[in-house]
This record gives sequence, C-alpha cells and structure tokens, in this order.
Amino acid sequence: MLRFAVRRLISAVLVLFAVSVLTFLIFNVIPAGDPAVRMAGKVPTKPQVEAIREEWGFDDPIYVQYGTMMKKLFTGDTVSYFTQLNVVDEIIKGAPRTFALAIGAAVLSLLFGVILGVYGARHAGQWSDRAITLLAVLGLSLPVFWLGALMNHYLGFELGIFPNGGYVEFGESPTGWFWHLMLPWIALSFLFVGFYSRVLRSDILETENEDFVRTARAKGLTEKQVMNRHVLRNSLVPIITLWGLDFGFILGGGAILTEAVFNLQGVGQYAAESIEQLDQPVIMAVTLFGAFFIVLLNAVVDIVYAALDPRIRLEDARAP
Amino acid sequence: MKSVARFLLVTLVLAVGSLTLAACSDDDDGGGGGDSSAEGGSITISQSSQPDYLDPALSYTVNGWEPMWLVYTPLITYKRAEGAEGSELIPGLAEDLPEISSDGLTYTLKLRDGLVYSDGTPVKASDFEHTIARVLNLESGGSFFYEAIEGADKYLSGGDPEADISGIEADDKTGEITVTLVEPDASFSNVLAMNFAGLVPGDTPFRNLTEDPPPGVGPYELTSSEPNREFVMEKSKTFEGLGIPEIPAGNIDTITTKIIPNAQQQAQDVIDNKLDYMQDNPPADLLPQIKERFEGSDAPDGERFEEHTTVSTYYFFLNVREEPFDDPKVREAVNVGLDRPALARLYGGTLAPGCGFLPPGMPGHNESLDGPDCPFGDPNQPPDLERAQQLLKEAGAEGAKVTVWGNTDDPTPKVTEAYADQLDKIGFDVDVRILGAGVYFQAIGNEDTRAQTGFTNWFQDFPHPLNFYFLVDGGTIQPTNNQNFSNVDDLKINDEINALALETDLASVEDSWAALDEVLVADNSYIAPYGHQKQSTFFSDRMDFSCALFNPLYLNDYSSWCLKEGE
Amino acid sequence: MPEGGRVATAEGAAAPAGAPEQATLGAPAGAGPWRLAWRRLRRNRATLVFGGVFVALVLFCIAAPLYAKHVAHTGPYENHLSDTIEQDGETVNVVGFDGVPIGPTWRGEFLLGADDNGRDVMVRILYGGRNSLLIGVSAALITLMLSILLGLVAGYMRGRVDGVISRMMDVLWAFPVVLLGVALGTSLALGGFELGPVSVGPGSLLIPIFVISIVYVPYMARPVRGQVLILREQDFVEAARSQGAGPLRVMFAEILPNLASTMIVFFPLLIANAILLEAALSFLGAGVQSPEPSWGTMIDSGVERIITAPMLTIAPGVFLVATVLALNVFGDGVRDAFDPKGRVRMEH
Repeated sequence: MLRFAVRRLISAVLVLFAVSVLTFLIFNVIPAGDPAVRMAGKVPTKPQVEAIREEWGFDDPIYVQYGTMMKKLFTGDTVSYFTQLNVVDEIIKGAPRTFALAIGAAVLSLLFGVILGVYGARHAGQWSDRAITLLAVLGLSLPVFWLGALMNHYLGFELGIFPNGGYVEFGESPTGWFWHLMLPWIALSFLFVGFYSRVLRSDILETENEDFVRTARAKGLTEKQVMNRHVLRNSLVPIITLWGLDFGFILGGGAILTEAVFNLQGVGQYAAESIEQLDQPVIMAVTLFGAFFIVLLNAVVDIVYAALDPRIRLEDARAP
Repeated sequence: MKSVARFLLVTLVLAVGSLTLAACSDDDDGGGGGDSSAEGGSITISQSSQPDYLDPALSYTVNGWEPMWLVYTPLITYKRAEGAEGSELIPGLAEDLPEISSDGLTYTLKLRDGLVYSDGTPVKASDFEHTIARVLNLESGGSFFYEAIEGADKYLSGGDPEADISGIEADDKTGEITVTLVEPDASFSNVLAMNFAGLVPGDTPFRNLTEDPPPGVGPYELTSSEPNREFVMEKSKTFEGLGIPEIPAGNIDTITTKIIPNAQQQAQDVIDNKLDYMQDNPPADLLPQIKERFEGSDAPDGERFEEHTTVSTYYFFLNVREEPFDDPKVREAVNVGLDRPALARLYGGTLAPGCGFLPPGMPGHNESLDGPDCPFGDPNQPPDLERAQQLLKEAGAEGAKVTVWGNTDDPTPKVTEAYADQLDKIGFDVDVRILGAGVYFQAIGNEDTRAQTGFTNWFQDFPHPLNFYFLVDGGTIQPTNNQNFSNVDDLKINDEINALALETDLASVEDSWAALDEVLVADNSYIAPYGHQKQSTFFSDRMDFSCALFNPLYLNDYSSWCLKEGE
Repeated sequence: MPEGGRVATAEGAAAPAGAPEQATLGAPAGAGPWRLAWRRLRRNRATLVFGGVFVALVLFCIAAPLYAKHVAHTGPYENHLSDTIEQDGETVNVVGFDGVPIGPTWRGEFLLGADDNGRDVMVRILYGGRNSLLIGVSAALITLMLSILLGLVAGYMRGRVDGVISRMMDVLWAFPVVLLGVALGTSLALGGFELGPVSVGPGSLLIPIFVISIVYVPYMARPVRGQVLILREQDFVEAARSQGAGPLRVMFAEILPNLASTMIVFFPLLIANAILLEAALSFLGAGVQSPEPSWGTMIDSGVERIITAPMLTIAPGVFLVATVLALNVFGDGVRDAFDPKGRVRMEH
C-alpha cells in the first residue's frame, strides 16, 4: 500500500514537472511579442530595451530561462513582467477567495446532488423524477458565465436582492462575505448538482438490484434502513470520488469564468488577466497552482481507492 | 459515510443560520466616515484596474498620474486650473521657471528653501539627480524623455545605479540645479514638469516601490498600498507649512481608492453613494441614465456629473509604405468616407468628432479642422460616401485588399469593426485583425507586420505640439517599436517640426503649428483622425460639485475636492 | 455491446478495466444489437423530440444567408450605426446618439434588435451558430479520431507505448481545462500557427477547433484504452491473431468495429461540450476572433449592454443553451439505447 502511494505521488510530481515545461514552451515558442519591449512602455528606446533584456535574462538559452523561472517560483521571487509585483504574494492574496468559492460550491453541489439523486431514484419513473432529470440535464447545459451574468444582473442589479458582484473579506463582515458569495456558489454548483444527481440516481437504481440489497430486504429491514445502510453507502462512493476530483478542478482554474463574471478577484481572475496580457511568470505560477490541486486530489482519490480495493494496486489503473 | 452526513448537516445548519443573519443585517454604509463639516472628511473612490505603478519613476498612465501628481511635485508643475490655464507652467519645488541658456542647451533652476518630504526628511538639490537616475535605471517608460539629458545614455548602458549623470549638476548648499541637454528641445521644460520628475529622497532604492511608495512633496501622501485591492492617500502633514502658495494643500483628509474591475458595479455604487467618485468613465450602458439624472446644474437628482474633452486624438493610421495607402487619393477617400458621428456613437457619446490632429486644448489646435469647415466634410455629419467611392475609383484602387488592425481594449474592437465596414462601403476588400491590448502597439510598430491601417490614439503627456508631432516625424521612424504607424516621412513636415522645436516662446508659433496640421491632414491625408475623447467627473451626492477642478493634464484634481456641508 | 464504456467513466477506478463481470462483453458487432439499440431509441420520445430540435437549429443556422438576404435584408458584418428604421409610424435610430442600440422589433428587420454596431442580432446569431456548430462538430470529430487512435494503440500495444501515451494523457489531464484552452487560444490567436508546411492564420476557426479537440482527448482516450484492454483478451481477437493477423490488422479490422457504439455514444455529448467550451473560450477572448460572430463572443460583448439592451446577452445564450440541451438529451437517449448501463463523464 505504501509503495503504491509513494509511486503515485512520484508520478504526480513528474506530471507537474511536465506541465511546467509545457506551459513554458507554449508561451516561448509561440510569437507573443518581445516582453522586453512591452516592459519598456509607450515609447521604448534601444538602450532601455537592451538594459531590460540583460536584467531579466531574455537573451539566455531557453533551458537557462526555464531554470531561472522555476528557481524563482520556488523561492517565491517571481515577479510579473508587467506590474513587477510578486506573483506568489498575489496568489496568496487571491487564494482565500478561490477557496471560499470552491468549498461553498462543493458543499452546495454535493448537498443538492445527493438530495435530488436520492429523491429521483426513490421516485424513478414518476413525473417528479423526470422533471429532476430534465433539470439536471439543463444544469449540464447552462454555461456558467451566461447564467452568472443573468443572475448578477437580475437578482443583483435590478432587484437588488444580492450584491452586484464583488467580494467582502470574511474578517470585515461575515454576513457580507456570505451574501457576496451566494450567487457565485449557486451559479457554479448548478452544473455539478446536475451531474451528481444523475450519477447518483442511476447508481442507486443499479445497487438496489444487487444481491446484497435483496438479501437485506429479505432479512426484513425497513426500506429506510436498506437505503441508508446498504444502498446509499455503496452508491455514494463514486459521487464522493467525483466530488474530490471536481474540487481539484475548481481550484485548478475551473472557476475562472465564475470569478470573472462575479468579479471575485481570486486566483482564477488573476489567471485570466495574466493570460490576456501574456504575462509569462504569472501564467506559469497560476497554471502550476491549478495543476497542483488537480494532481493532488487525483492522487488522493487513487490512494484512497487503492486502500479500499486491493485490486487497483495490482492493476495500477489509471484512474482519472 | 456517517461523518460526511454529519458534516453536511452542520453546513446546512450553518448555511440557514447565516442566511437569516444576512437578511437581517443592514447594508454596509459604503462611503466611509461622515465628518460634519465641509473641511476635511474622508472619501472612498474607485479605479477599474490597479495603476501600472504607484512609483513616480515608473507610472505612465492616467490611472497612476491622476493620484500621484498630488503626491510627488516636480521642480516645475502646472497651474491648478481648468482649461488652457491649467496647461500653464508654474514653479513647483523650484523658486522659479528654469532659466534657459541662449543655445537652448542648459536649464538652470533653484530649489526652494526649507522644503521637507512628507516624512520630514529635508529636500536636497541632489535628490533631483537621484530622481532622474531612478527613471533611467528602472528602465521606466519615461526613460525616453530623459535620454535627452547629456550623459543619460552612458548612465543607462553603464548599468551602475550610483553612477553620475554628467548632464545634471546639483549643489546641495545653494540649491542650484543645472541640466544640460544633448540638443536643444523647446519642450524640455514640460519634460521637467512630468510626473516622472516628481522629487523623491536621495536614498530611495532603485526598485519598483509600488507596494511601499516613497515619500514626496505634495498636498497628499500615499500612506498604504495593497496592489489590486486599494491604496490610501492622506493629507500631508508637512506640506501646508512649506509656503508654496500656487499649490493648494487640499481639503479632504483621507482618500481611499479601491480597485473594482467591474465598471458597472462602480457606477452603480457612485449612484448609490457607496463610492464618492470613479476614475474611469461610467460604462456606456449606464451613461444615458447617469447623464439624464445628474448632468447639468438643473439635473433632476442634483448635479453630480460633467464631461470634459481631454487633450487627445483618436485616429486611424494609413501606412504610406503599403499599397493602397501609398496613393494620396486613396487616403483622401478614406478620410472623406469615414463616418465620424457613427464612430462617436460607439463611444456612447464620450467622443467629440473631429478631423484635426492637434486636439482642442493643445497649443496650435486648428479649429477649422474640427468644425464644419473640415475639407473632408463636417465631422458631425454623415460622410459623402459617393465622393469617397469616386475618389477610390479615380485612384484605380477599387477592391484593394486592406487589413484593418485593432486591439481588445473596449470599445476598440467595435470601432475597428465599424471602420472595416465603412471601408467596405467605400469599396475596399477588408479583413479585420484584433490583437491583445498588451502586444498591439508593438505588433503594428514592427515593420515586418506591414500593418496597412488601424486604430491608434494619443493622449498628451504635456501641453506642447511636439508631444503629438513626434508621432508623424520622419526622423522617428524605426524598424521596430515604431510610433509613426503611418510612416509619414514628408520633408516639408520634418523641416517644419525641426524648426518649430527650437522656438521656446510657444505662443508665437501656435499658428505655424496649426498650419502644419493642414499639411498633415487636409493636404496629404496621412492619417484619418476621427475625434477627441471626453473624460467625466462623476461624484456621489456627498461631494460638493462646485469645488471640483478638472486639469487638462492630470484630469480630476483631488486636492480641489470638498464634501458638502454636513457630510 | 461493449459495456466497457463503464470503464470510460470517472468512476473507472471503482470498476477497473478487466473486472470480471465485463468479461462477457465485446462480441463482434452484429446486426442484432444495432437493431435493438435502434428500437430502443425509437421508443424514447424525448430523445427524438430533442434530436429534432437540434436538427432544426442546425438547419436554421445553415439557412443563415437566406434569412439575411430575404428576411433581415442585411449581412452579419454590416453596421447600421447612422441608419434609421420606421417603427410604429415613427422614425427610430438603429443606434441612439448615446450608443444604445434598438431592442427587438419582432419583425423581419432587427427581429431581436441591433448590437452596438447596429448589426442585426438575429442575423449574427445565425451566423454565429454556424461557427459554433462547425467548431463543435469538427472538434468533436477530431477528438474522437485522436482518442480512438491513441486509446487503441495504447490499449493494444501496452507496455512502453502505453506508458508514454498514458503519461501524455496524465499531463493533459492535469492541465486546468479552461486555463489550457485560454492559454493556447490566446497565444495562437496572436500569431497564428506555423509548423512546417502547415500555416494557419491568426483569425482562423481552425485554432479554436484545434484547441478544443486537444483539450478533450484525455477524457475520451482513457475510456477507449480501457475498453481495448478488455477487447484484446477476447476470443475473437485471439482467433484473428492465431490466423496470422498482424497488430495493425487486429487493431483496425477486429477491435475498431467494436468501438463503434462507444463512438456513437460519445459523439453527441462531445459536441455539446465542445460547443460549451467554445463559448467559454470566446467569452474570455480566446476563441472565435472578431469580426466573426459566435455565441460566446456575442454573450461576451452583450454583457456590457445588459442594462440597456438585455436581449444582446439573453438571445445568443438561449440559442446556446437550447442547442447544448438538445444535444445532451439526445445524447443521453443514444447512450441509453446503445449502452444502457454505461456512464460518460465530461467536464466543462
């Protein structure tokens, strides 16, 4: 078990390394303009541009540049090319907002995903189940930026029920914090609620036909006991897995659009802005930040599964 | 699974709890504390994005200059006044305007006595050299202006920050400062008055100090700066006692600037008095409503909004090195066929149509070009499309392939698309290329790009026609980083620029500059100007509108502001 | 039919490749199961209705030039900034002096109103739909082909080849999807793409197609690989091998046909997700480039006008949601018909 975990973690580190190289290459090979000239401002002069090149090492061979960038990333010395602000500081400043968004959305989506999934399975085939199914597909089909923009406008701007975007620090006003995050949470969890409820519904229906459930029923357990002790316990496992993975995805940049629409100024919005400006050090940092959470949660899910099911270790299944 | 269920239950309870709490709690009272007199008080204002830098050596944007010119005063500065008066040079930290030698190469100034920075450090004459050294050493966007000083290029290439700049002599005992130039430049007084030259102490480190701005001499000091969130300016405790009567010491005690990317949210907050001012123009979407409610002294909800034309020009460059714009007739066709009022609508009314290059408010502005007498037709009326089509036909350039360039800054993509459609109507075969705003000017300024025509604009750095005309000076063309996007290289224009550049008495040659505009635009159609941008002042109800001044250079003057009685 | 599609799912770890209950799967494709699937599909009324909605939307978008010419009398790029139209006997500016465009007229010209440039929104939506659909379908096709190829090779060859391909998928998977798409899209939109003889202009639709198809490959290649791992152990594959068939022949002539139903199940869902991703990329400025319309770019610029002209945001969004919803419901029906137990996982 330990060996599997170690192996899994080593491969996670290798994947992160590859991601960093790839990101670096995407923004170096493709002509994105000369950063030295852009840093020189509106009226660049030759001596000025040369001084910048020298100082930032833009003339070094590409692998040296990669090495420098990675070193600076790990020592926390990376600064943006265009604002010259420390990138790690900026990420640390934005991270609580992204975490708040991700955690809240994760809680909401699991909560409602489970409620609707169980309800749908209980009432399989009835009209309420069909309505939930349709609603779930609708959730999968709604682009979060569109839904978010409309919610922000109608519920925030027009009716004034919610704030019209923005973020309030928890320390400043806990209720303001909660209130400002309400719409982003709902908008972001729509998709996942749709997804979880569907998966859970069909899982429950499948599990109910398994032998051990029939045995349980035959033993004379009440429907509720069967549901709670046997069916749900089994069916929730894949949902929790998905949930763990999705949490990684949201933290890893899946929330860019939500942050942008609701103006939360978290890591995602920082990422979007830096990509627009092709600000390489920032892009490197936020991509690695995102990839880190995706890879980490993937590894955790794999290891937990392996702990539960020894077959996986033999198979070394490449779980998503 | 048990633990998960319990976790869910807890969160549910928490969620419901906070929901009720939030519903009960009152709205935050956004606008900051409310002192009860028109003197002092604090306000909260907003900008859409973090200023490029909060370091005078580095900042080169309106967002940065508008707050910082009140924090870092240069040796000479501009009159705190509106209109043309606001472009007048006055002594700042120097006792008088510079004495210029007869060859135009040497500028001599004397520092006022008894000046101190906001932290109490005395100001020394040698701080000026350090200030300029920082601009050069930090590879600031302002380097360009100070490379005119003798020895600046040597200092820059030497790489030693502590090295001497041979063209600057400063005597700490007498306070005398002498600046020697490589060649005469009549606009150098204006360069000395730029924000880059706002004095900082001689021990200010050679790095970007945005997160910890250095002290300066000015009505305000920057007391805290948290990039991308907010920065705070407080009234300087030392400035009022310095005895610089021309520079008012300000009224409001504390000005907190919040960074709020969403313009709509900012405008709504100003309307609701949660913010007291927004630095950017209100978004086009809310502008009609804001104008209706708050514009003019008889506005239904009180006067809170005003528009001022800035000293700026928006134009399309027409690259004379590329077909079909090598033909003056084709360029004329573009100028004649350009639907300027249509483009103004895309700016939601924040653009004053015109066809002159030197904008209103700039010495040498040619009024006839911005009015009905414009040779291409009244810029406020729809164009004579038939004449434009005819001109294109005469030039034999019908169906000529043209790629129109623009960038992603709002509303430029729409403007570029509208321009492309207008060219299409004149008879060109048009393609559109929109580039990211960060790389756009670099791309079109590279001769390999061979950009035929596209969007560009210029806002004055200082009130001297040279600050516009270097953009169309044949001598400034370079293979990369070119700013002369049309590649205008006309002997007549070049010679006239060089001659007028020597004249230190600007007022005496204003007519010659205005005549040059005729040569550039009317005679040769080297560029296709379409208007001048307006900038707004938009206040909350707490602010006393009558106090506010709008300086043509640094725009809204925070030091003039005051709160209403009782706020 | 291969229920191996189950491995395809995110809960693949829970039902690892080669789990015993799937050993019976993967009989050679025959007429029986196909007919069975078709019968199931025909019985599912919702699927047929939504399938019909999708086809109607596609046809409507294809007919965009006809609509532009005969109904709206204006093209997708044509500005009407200074024009006026007659409405209720009054002359109205298409775009006001304050820049506010006209709202829906609910008749042929400017049916859904105009945008900031005075362009007919309905016409832009139809042309934008062509771009969105073209990108969605092409990207889905490319993803399908790439993933089948990679999954087939990795699953069949196993060993080192599998290792290399799987690691590649791991890296792609670890990339934050939207971030990767935006990063690729932005940098490609800037300078275009040149690789040897292939040269793609910066404004080309090929760029978003390429970006989107790459992003989704790992989501599809992994399940295919898992399925191939099962199929390659089946009797009919053994039989082919013992008759002297080479690896290429086995892969493409024997195993590939058995992946057909997987492809059919994935295809509509892939399109739906590709269209959503295209909209997201365009919303962030990294997809379809101006002046080409797409639903995503239209929503992006519409949001700026959501107060004075909400239709600019609502209308393209409704078309987008209708298309994606129709595809999703249809895709579900197809999956139920072909693969009643499987579950497919897609991310946005």
